[in-house]
Amino acid sequence: MPVIVMASPKGGVGKSTCAVLLATEFARMNAEVTVLDCDPNHSLTRWASRNIPPGIRLVSDVGRSEIVQTIKRADGDGKIVIVDLEGVASQLVSRAISQADLVIVPMQATALDAEIGSEALALVREEEDALGRTIRHAVVLTKTSAAIKSRVQKDLESQLQSEGIDLIQPSLVSRAAFSELFAYGGDLTSMLENKEMTTGGKVDKALENARGFAEAVYDRLK
Amino acid sequence: MTGSNRLAGLRARPKDESVHQTKIVDAVGEAHGFLDRTPRRKPGRKPSPRTYQIHPKIMPEIGDAIAGEAERLGITQGALIEIMWRSYSERK
Repeated sequence: MPVIVMASPKGGVGKSTCAVLLATEFARMNAEVTVLDCDPNHSLTRWASRNIPPGIRLVSDVGRSEIVQTIKRADGDGKIVIVDLEGVASQLVSRAISQADLVIVPMQATALDAEIGSEALALVREEEDALGRTIRHAVVLTKTSAAIKSRVQKDLESQLQSEGIDLIQPSLVSRAAFSELFAYGGDLTSMLENKEMTTGGKVDKALENARGFAEAVYDRLK
Repeated sequence: MTGSNRLAGLRARPKDESVHQTKIVDAVGEAHGFLDRTPRRKPGRKPSPRTYQIHPKIMPEIGDAIAGEAERLGITQGALIEIMWRSYSERK
């Protein structure tokens, strides 16, 4: 099954959020999901320590020297591997990309995120040339506005499309429920059903957004 | 997405994970500023665990007595030994 790598040398762009949303949605589809937490901030380990949904296995503290073999051990038919990387330009990132079937580069609709995120895209293309195989890659815009599409976002989308970069639609909207996942653990479905969890946001809209995102990623894995 | 496992149709794809390939990937990464950022360990020998033994030639019960008296007085064993040295020097 595919290895999906979340990569961007910039921190705070939504790599861990994307990883959690995909892991929970794919687990809900009865896939056996292994999540590799390679981020020294341990965002996914904290999320899993609160409540890890069935079907998801977490491996923490995966470093540069172990990443390739850890992915190999976790990969296999009937399994899906999601790698959440640190937000720095490191060999850990380049090694993880070399084992990917799909690299997702999350970025907010800002010039800075786009500039730093493009470094990851350039690295993927260079690795494709060096390894002689295609590594599918795509950008997803994160923390976008639910109400309106900003001018900056429109410009960035048209720029990415003009450069032939695959842009995942829908973008991930800025939703309180996405942040609250890290406070409660678990997934959005359990959050929607549990009335004791208060998010201050629209969980149903967040779930709809997450499912649309997971569908778009699934289409790229076929 | 439904609860049915549509992902079961996706198969694992073999990838080269040889040392040679890793070297190529590292070189490509370095050219783009993706460097080895593994935290370095502090160089040199690790400090030995504290035994609180004053000197290997001192009998354990005497060492323990000195340590206990220093603790009772609220001073270090070294400070207590200085007091003892002054006392010994005066008697000499």
